[in-house]
Amino acid sequence: MMIQNPASRLWTAAWVCAVLLAGGATAAADLAGAPLDQLPPSWRDERGQPLAFTDLIGHRVILSMAYTRCHTTCPATIMQLQRMQQVLDARGEQASFVIVGYDTQDDDPASWRQYQINRRLERRNWHFLTGAPQAVRQLARQLGFEFWHYDSHIMHDSRIVFFDSQGFYSGAITPASGDWSALL
Amino acid sequence: MRRTTMTSTRLQRCAVALFAVAIVAAVPAPALSATVERKTLAEMQKQLDASLQMIQALTERVRELEARQTTAVTTAAPVPVPAPAVAASPAAANNARLEADEQKLEQLEKENASRSADDTGLPLHGFADVGAGTHNPINPALQGFNVGNLDFYITPRLGDRTRALFEMNTEVSSEGSVGVDLERAQIGYQFNDQATVWMGRFHSPYGYVNTALHHGNWINNSLRRPKFLQFEDNGGIVPAHTVGLWVTGSSHAGTGKVLYDFYGGNSQEIIGGVLDMRNAGNAHGKLIFGGRLGYQFNEGAAEGLLLGVHAFSTHIVDDAMVPTETRVLAYGGYAVYDTDQWENIAEIYLFDNQDLSGVRGSHRSDAGFVQFGYRAPWGLPYARYERAALSQSDTYFAAQLSGASYHRVALGARFDIDLKSAIKLELANTRLTDRSRDQFGEGLVQYAIRF
Repeated sequence: MMIQNPASRLWTAAWVCAVLLAGGATAAADLAGAPLDQLPPSWRDERGQPLAFTDLIGHRVILSMAYTRCHTTCPATIMQLQRMQQVLDARGEQASFVIVGYDTQDDDPASWRQYQINRRLERRNWHFLTGAPQAVRQLARQLGFEFWHYDSHIMHDSRIVFFDSQGFYSGAITPASGDWSALL
Repeated sequence: MRRTTMTSTRLQRCAVALFAVAIVAAVPAPALSATVERKTLAEMQKQLDASLQMIQALTERVRELEARQTTAVTTAAPVPVPAPAVAASPAAANNARLEADEQKLEQLEKENASRSADDTGLPLHGFADVGAGTHNPINPALQGFNVGNLDFYITPRLGDRTRALFEMNTEVSSEGSVGVDLERAQIGYQFNDQATVWMGRFHSPYGYVNTALHHGNWINNSLRRPKFLQFEDNGGIVPAHTVGLWVTGSSHAGTGKVLYDFYGGNSQEIIGGVLDMRNAGNAHGKLIFGGRLGYQFNEGAAEGLLLGVHAFSTHIVDDAMVPTETRVLAYGGYAVYDTDQWENIAEIYLFDNQDLSGVRGSHRSDAGFVQFGYRAPWGLPYARYERAALSQSDTYFAAQLSGASYHRVALGARFDIDLKSAIKLELANTRLTDRSRDQFGEGLVQYAIRF
């Protein structure tokens, strides 16, 4: 987290208050951004269309990372996401499922589109995102996804991060703490 | 702290002045009639009072944060998010909101603090393994426990286009001494997604195994590579490393991808009965040239299927009393079916070698393997058959310590303990078919990790 010194913090507060007074108190609710706002903004979905995480605010967001050539960890993670989808469907609740690609070299939108078709993951609330290498690394660092490349292989863990409908971080699970029922 | 407080007091005054300017700017000019002016001024006074209260609350918050910063404890324990208090005023509500957001972010960052990301400047990762068996998996004359590899993998991040890759492996020789080898040292430039050029020492791009399963044993689902495809100092008979230039890339074609590789480099030499990739260059300037072309299917029942062909040609000299030079021409194909259920691999190599001294003439040999693996919920069992029929009249094979023909059947399984460690078991039977007629069975176990 960026730590500001007290003086600059006060200036910021004063400026915010001035804007508030000039713009009306209704802006108060938008004062602070949710963590979803603070993730890298530019992504493309499996159809090549631009998508920002802020577009997803309004429903809860369930996010993980994967790459298409993974045949062990990623399919297990996707299966967990599918189970969550089933639970939400049974409850009549909505959520956006987001899978961000680790592999910026090989996994472009066309690869994800094929992956989506092959695994029957074509629901409109499922988004398979590709981004620039720097954006992928930044998102991984912010959300605690550890990964590294070993040539064409990607060494990574399994992790699912949850955001509430306002875009606020509400929790994460790993295989070691895999009870996600409390987070749904 | 006192200095900060004094600064804060001065800044409060500045902030009040800023408010006044903002408020004046916010009030429409036509409203400044005498009557309205008094009313407006009264409202402004009220707003100013409220703002001063807000500033006071924020100032207190700054002090609180400052105090917390000096006594902060770096712990990964989650920070409890307090229940939102009932807002007594807009300032208090904003304050509570800021505090809650701040704590959530703090919690998220603390949770991730112990995790290493992939952009720490010089990430250092690697693999290691140890094992035991009725025979050493590389040298069957030995038995008992063995130390495998400790493999360090370094990929410094240099920019958007320049790439680098170094792999240093410590391995144990048959005599038990530990040696360090710079297995790969590549620096490359990525023109685009379709083409990257590497220069340095790399794994020769032939077949599938040599560029998919590197020195880290954890990455390999089977306990070891096929015998004839081992690395040179482990008994491999095909030049696994090349020091030279390598162009590689892939491109979408239909619903799949075309994969291609072309490479050239120093011709390897046989020194002490072992292939040597001539890191510093060779004395005669002979080169190896080769390439590989494959197609990866990504749709329907063929999804996960990779088919390809490969070939290389080189001139190999040895260090015999009367050195010989052999033109080695190898070609063949490979097939991989890698899906969420299956990992099936097959490779074949045909050799058409010629003794350039004109004494021994031309010889044909072949080697290949087929391996079936199934990804079960409990692990990955596999079965492999491998065979090498190598002409002992061919100086290329005759000069190599491991150039004997053989058959091997292996059954094994991989069990993942967690995402970073695995235990592998293998039962194998090997039969040598020309230099000797020995046959031996093996029971092997390997514990492999990544870090």
